Amino acid sequence: MNILPGNMRFGTGQPVKRLEDQRLLTGLGHYLDDKPADGALWLVVLRSPHAHARIVAIDTQAAREMPGVTAVFTGADLVADDVGTLPTLPIFKRPDGSPMALPARRLLAHEVVRFVGEAVAAVVATSLDAARAAAEAIAVDYEVLPAVTDPSAAIQPGAPVVCSDAPDNIVAAMSYGDAAVVDAAFASAAHVVSLDIASQRLIPSAMEPRSTIAELDKSGRLTLHVQSQTPASTRDILADAILKRPKDSIVVRVGDIGGGFGQKTGLYPEDGLVAYAAVKLNRKVRWRGDRTDEFVGGTHGRDLTSTAAFALDAKGRVLAYRVSSLGGTGAYLAGAGVIIPLVLGPFVQTGVYDLPLVHFEIKAVMTHTAPVGAYRGAGRPEAVYIVERLMDAAARQLGIDPRAIRKANYIKPAQLPYTNAVGQVYDSGAFAHMMERASKLADWDGFAARKKAAKKKGLLYGRGLTSYIEWTGGRAHTEKVSLQATAEGRIVLHSGTQAMGQGLETTYSQMLAASLGIGMDKIDVVQGNTDLAQGFGSVGSRSLFVGGTAVAVSTVDLVAKAREKAASILEASVDDIEYADGVLTIAGTDRRISLFEIAAKEKGARLSVDSTGEVDGPSWPNGTHICEVEIDPDTGITKVVRYTTVDDVGVAVNPMLVSGQIHGGVAQGIGQALYEGATYDADGQLLTASYQDYCIPRADNMPAIEVTLDGSAPCKTNPLGAKGCGESGAIGGPPCIVHGVLDALAPLGITALNTPLTPEKVWRAIRDANAAQK
Amino acid sequence: MKAGDVAYFRAQSVSDAVAAFRSCEGDARYLAGGQSLLAAMNLRLLTPDLLIDIAHIDALRGIERRGGEIRIGALTRHAEILSSPIIASHVPLLAAAAPWVAHPAIRNKGTIGGSIAFADPASEFPAVALALNARIELDNGDSVRFVEAQDFFLDLYETAAEPGEILSAVWFPVATPDQRCTFDELARRRGDYAIVGVAIVADFSGEIVDRIRIVFFSVGSTPVRALRAEAALTGTALVDTDIELAQQALAGDLSPSDDVQVSAATRMHLASVLLRRQLGKLPVPTPKAVRA
Repeated sequence: MNILPGNMRFGTGQPVKRLEDQRLLTGLGHYLDDKPADGALWLVVLRSPHAHARIVAIDTQAAREMPGVTAVFTGADLVADDVGTLPTLPIFKRPDGSPMALPARRLLAHEVVRFVGEAVAAVVATSLDAARAAAEAIAVDYEVLPAVTDPSAAIQPGAPVVCSDAPDNIVAAMSYGDAAVVDAAFASAAHVVSLDIASQRLIPSAMEPRSTIAELDKSGRLTLHVQSQTPASTRDILADAILKRPKDSIVVRVGDIGGGFGQKTGLYPEDGLVAYAAVKLNRKVRWRGDRTDEFVGGTHGRDLTSTAAFALDAKGRVLAYRVSSLGGTGAYLAGAGVIIPLVLGPFVQTGVYDLPLVHFEIKAVMTHTAPVGAYRGAGRPEAVYIVERLMDAAARQLGIDPRAIRKANYIKPAQLPYTNAVGQVYDSGAFAHMMERASKLADWDGFAARKKAAKKKGLLYGRGLTSYIEWTGGRAHTEKVSLQATAEGRIVLHSGTQAMGQGLETTYSQMLAASLGIGMDKIDVVQGNTDLAQGFGSVGSRSLFVGGTAVAVSTVDLVAKAREKAASILEASVDDIEYADGVLTIAGTDRRISLFEIAAKEKGARLSVDSTGEVDGPSWPNGTHICEVEIDPDTGITKVVRYTTVDDVGVAVNPMLVSGQIHGGVAQGIGQALYEGATYDADGQLLTASYQDYCIPRADNMPAIEVTLDGSAPCKTNPLGAKGCGESGAIGGPPCIVHGVLDALAPLGITALNTPLTPEKVWRAIRDANAAQK
Repeated sequence: MKAGDVAYFRAQSVSDAVAAFRSCEGDARYLAGGQSLLAAMNLRLLTPDLLIDIAHIDALRGIERRGGEIRIGALTRHAEILSSPIIASHVPLLAAAAPWVAHPAIRNKGTIGGSIAFADPASEFPAVALALNARIELDNGDSVRFVEAQDFFLDLYETAAEPGEILSAVWFPVATPDQRCTFDELARRRGDYAIVGVAIVADFSGEIVDRIRIVFFSVGSTPVRALRAEAALTGTALVDTDIELAQQALAGDLSPSDDVQVSAATRMHLASVLLRRQLGKLPVPTPKAVRA
């Protein structure tokens, strides 16, 4: 797979500052809400105040008669207009072998509402205020039904049912490994370590709330402006499933996005409503979500509750590994919803360890809550958290150094490529090396002195270590780009991957500049237009290693095409044409023509190639994170005081951007470990529906995060040698912090606490432990 | 969510504002910095019919010494309190509390009059006003009257101000040389509403506490004086055993309730921890300093 011109590998690797920053930081970004009013109508969504209710009647008359109101839509209107439902992959089975069961996800609820925040009606009016006022005038008569919000309660007999096809609320289930063999290994093991563990439900916090604009042109073609990480699939869902019109009758346009984190994939009901209304009314229609819309109407993340155990020999080698999990899906399946606990988590459930004997059972369970979808890591943080927590608990129970027990169980370099217990193949990695390097950089040996100093101040002090791994790529291993040289002297890349803050424009420009020998200021990276480029989009940390591979291929294709054109123009053999720095020369002569001169002679004054990049498999970024925390025993307040990482992202095109990705992921990981958690009450009301109650960490809650990128084990399944890096920090972060806290609390006899480790939870644990010791 | 429709009137004077209030048939509210009121309106917790903007009335501005007191005009912003040398030297407890009020953006807009008139039990300035027993100046457009802070905070968001009265200024006593104060709060994150907070001011004779006022906030429907704890500490030198007695007395002073964030028991415990730590930090005057 060595298709690269030599300088692609070696010309990049520089910490180039982001090309995007000047524009974005000076207010020149093109976010959706920056678009002018343009006479667009405003759409406002009325949401269900109940977690579970039958819609007896909806009276929209008063709303329709209010000033400025153009239309009011209910679920019944959409059914009458044959508007479709949001699709999901129906590939799984229920435990009894029957097809997976799930309620149809409509743009507007019809007959039944299943979570607080489900869209029930939509108002379209000439102003946002008029639409809001009219939405308040809609009278919905609900017959409130009992609700269930906790997956463990939802599978109990007699629990309220979300979808009548699944009386036990189980959407689908998966099982991996051999229960009998694993049971036997447990029965004869020297040690068994088990934990009840949960990755609590989180609410993604992109800085920019979702928003959508739709308009028809004179020919009846629909443009949907939306914040989507996956513009092409957003278009396809809208065309095929919702509006039932040809794909090419729709173009999806995406501008700058203020954060996605997996939450902005596929198509949301609001997007479909805006498109439907635009077509129905033949008017430009826009919707702008506010924070409440995001809290109750956006997809949530995580929500995995597990019982897990290791069987170990006397030396700490894991003999068998058992996990039984309930994955909450919420009331409906968001696009990838059910895949996250059933497939993506299990892919890395064994982490960086050689654990061939496993038995995993996962049930995906519906509750009367907001749908759970992708959130930075999607399944991998939950799975790695389980294996890492077990490893740490085993170290403590067996009295082994947390590094030593990991070393005893790491996959060894000689075992690579390594096929894990669920059939996933790790191509590369140097797991012990990353851990050893991280412990040196974290000054592992200086911990005792720091702990002593903290003790003098009356503080508890702990150290956490974790080794993580991530499966990346979203099972979409090809990406298409088009690359053009223009007569004006510019290089234009069209990519179907989608920037949402990662800095793809910079990274791709660096690659193109290095490969073509042309300045970055001559390069334009164009994304977010399904007429110009279609691809899988940006999910699962795939943009660089898959999308970037396509970029690399396109440079080879462009140079090859240019050499042929040059050979023809200069009347020479292709073999004699050399390319360097935008100029094609007959070898050994001064006869030459520039890439851009060739473009001028082409049709449309552009020399253009359409290229496909394909990788041989997922990439497996991994690494070790080490933190130190101090805890005030009187208040339970935990402060992360040191955080050191060594991350194997393979070859980094721009180490500064990769470090930024690690920083952001760790910040979200610290959020999960210490601060964040969605809380529903027994009636299904979301108690954490604003930032006053949903606590995300702020800058002053962050330690200095010391990131070291280690490129000593480049990826072998793509020509860049790159591994995805977007989600790593969010995977390593939570177990690292929790291990630090538990280490600090270990002298008190505290062995387990579930996240978020709020001050109250930590203080109560300390108080109870002190009381027990008295 | 966003606020519903509301009428708006910009007042040029206090009498102008009060007249608008009296002529409003529905629910009228005075708007100063808007940092509590507008948020409550956006959440539809408050739905006034009329907002009377008093933020442009010059008579409500200014920080000045008047005899033994510092008069702080109602429109004085938190950020101004934070940077005022007069407040730093004469009302140090208020200066100590100001950095704890929310975030810079809010401190740039929010006003002390608004904070005290709104009487949020989790706010810092009402607690400081009670600890120093500030005098609250109320103007009804015709005349001005004063209410002591200890008589001002009646219940949750409820004060002794009569309908239509504008809180025009707050008068704080100038700190004496033998007075010491301290302020602290615990919150999930810096700038969040406090889980529990405390303001303490003490007058010393030598090393002995003559008089001490301890006010907790975020523990009830108003800021709460810890009278039993105060009594336990009066006449002591704040040695560890005195502080322990005060901590025990606290159980009779406070009766916090549960909320989404923390339980009542945790709040009580944290109040006790804060009390111990802040009393420990109260810089006891040296005999020399007392004589000077």
